[in-house]
Amino acid sequence: MRLYEYEAKRLFRRAGIPTPDNIVVERDAAVLENVVYPVVLKAQVFLGGRGKAGFVKTAHNAREAQKHIKAMLGKKHGAYRIERILVERMIDIDQEIYVAAAIDRLSHRPLVMTSRHGGMDIEEIAKKEQAIMKFYFNPGQKIHKFMARKIAGQLGFSGQLLAGVAGVIEKVYNLLVSYDCKLVEVNPLVIDKRGSLYAVDAKVDLDEDAMFRHRDLAEMGIVARHEVGELTDRERTAKALGIPYVDLDGDIGVFPGGAGFGIAAIDLIQHYGGKPANFMDSGGAPTQEKLRAMLGLLIDNPRVKAIFGARFGGISRCDDWAKAVVQYVLENKPEKPMIMRMAGNMEAEGRKILEQAKQEHPEFFKDIKIYAVDTPIEEVIKETIRCAGGE
Amino acid sequence: MAIIIDKGTQTIIQGITGRNASLHAKFMMEYGTNVVAGVTPGKGGQKVEGVRVYDTVQQCMEDHPRATVSSIWVPPAFAKDAILEAIDAGIKTVVVITERIPIHDMLMVRHVAKEKNVMVIGGNTPGLISPGKALVGMLPTITFRPGRIGTVARSGAVTYYLANSLNLAGFGESTSVGLGGDPILGANFEDVLRLFQEDPETDAVVMAGEIGGVYEELAAPYVKEMKKPVIAYITGKAAPQGKRLGHAGAIIEGTMGTAQSKIDALRSNGAYLAETFSEIPALVRLAIKERSG
Repeated sequence: MRLYEYEAKRLFRRAGIPTPDNIVVERDAAVLENVVYPVVLKAQVFLGGRGKAGFVKTAHNAREAQKHIKAMLGKKHGAYRIERILVERMIDIDQEIYVAAAIDRLSHRPLVMTSRHGGMDIEEIAKKEQAIMKFYFNPGQKIHKFMARKIAGQLGFSGQLLAGVAGVIEKVYNLLVSYDCKLVEVNPLVIDKRGSLYAVDAKVDLDEDAMFRHRDLAEMGIVARHEVGELTDRERTAKALGIPYVDLDGDIGVFPGGAGFGIAAIDLIQHYGGKPANFMDSGGAPTQEKLRAMLGLLIDNPRVKAIFGARFGGISRCDDWAKAVVQYVLENKPEKPMIMRMAGNMEAEGRKILEQAKQEHPEFFKDIKIYAVDTPIEEVIKETIRCAGGE
Repeated sequence: MAIIIDKGTQTIIQGITGRNASLHAKFMMEYGTNVVAGVTPGKGGQKVEGVRVYDTVQQCMEDHPRATVSSIWVPPAFAKDAILEAIDAGIKTVVVITERIPIHDMLMVRHVAKEKNVMVIGGNTPGLISPGKALVGMLPTITFRPGRIGTVARSGAVTYYLANSLNLAGFGESTSVGLGGDPILGANFEDVLRLFQEDPETDAVVMAGEIGGVYEELAAPYVKEMKKPVIAYITGKAAPQGKRLGHAGAIIEGTMGTAQSKIDALRSNGAYLAETFSEIPALVRLAIKERSG
């Protein structure tokens, strides 16, 4: 989970990494009273290219600052609405360097990356051989102070600056390990004209699966959230129900079981000329209540003309799935065709539940077909596409 | 022969007293898996489905020194500890059913497992099955038939659909392995491909990957080295870029990790690429014919 710059800087302060004095402006700018000018105002969004889009400004007095805040708040940068602005003391830049700690997924080890040249062109710099130095650690390994000094020395620093840079390197690595981060990046780490160090930008990517053991994040106002762009209304509803769901722009509702097959199902629908209306993870072992909510999300979507459903009972059983489908149909009497397939654990029990419901209420099940293990999944998908009026 | 688990392989279950674990312990034993014991700290002395529960893996191994495989069903916060406990007690293959294990925990697990030469499968794996012989995990056994095709996949349900499409065409599986859906895995495609290459009862391997991560690309050079053919099915071509798709692992990262990057890497190293599940059996037939002729 990526953090906003202002959140990352709160974490930096806790970790002892120096940041320029700052405040966060959310609505009115009354909080600007005690600010020392000049300042930099930065829109808090995940998307890069803020500067070029005009969402990073400088101000030399309160009037200027107010003007910029008014101009930026509520505007959109890409898909992101600007809801907060970080107002930060301007640093007199002498040098910009690059310090980061990350997890290398190729070697499965944490590493420290540094470069004498930081700033906006770091990706270009990274392409040049040996422009970025990498130092690998074993999982669980501590960084000794001398290692950090060694790295700072190899960057070409000496004296006071070497000690300062080494301190930041040590703290950045410790932050990665102690807060279960995937990435901690300081770019640039600025050395000002007086030789003081400041993390002028801050990027932190947390492991959401480890947040349970960092309760103090909540004290800093950092809580788990959806991280990409803005949610549609339906995505918001799904999120409130705890259902992983993404809207797509087609007309076939996809009720696939687990995420892995959900990804495959979207590919297959497109392969046969259909258009999926959504991605959903309906796998694991959801409760019947949740299963019914999942079906509701699809049926209630006016764009959806037919539902493709699949259950391969592993940890989640076919009989539970069948009960949920039957109960949803009896309660809601959906008028859209539902073409599904059910196989796996407790398949016979599931089939019995479906057959019984069908006999008792044939009128509600006339547009519902549930195939068994002997029909290839591709045939079920093709039939759904036909029902949706596709090719 | 099969890979990793065979008839008689002695297995234990860590977290056996949990609701899911006890249900699937029953399924495993009904299928013929030799489940010799369970472990839940604090519940030693109890019985689950007739199987004795121990407090520690160490105590369990004193009574069952020939146990080689353990499956892990504990909550994610305790998974690292349980896996390290199994490794410490001398277990050779650890099958991690638990999902959403913290990344740094899995880095540590991989590090220790490599040092001790232990295979860790998962996290977030449905397990593995050698049809007709043994099951460790929660795969729906009805889907698998004994045969000579090895399968290895990231996703659980995809593992089932692979077997299903093979079986409908008359093939069966030597062993089917689920690698798991978490972002950092223990065993990867190459580890399992190497075992299938050495298995005299496997003629060809079907591997199924998905967007996110780099394990498919990393396996590609070994696919070229293999004598046995590899049929690959990669999903995620139609997935919206940059949106998180529920699986912790399925996030597009860098230039590697896209479906196309995986398809290109595998194809250029001699794998047969399938576009749908139902294309797989014909490619298996073709691949075996081409390699043997």
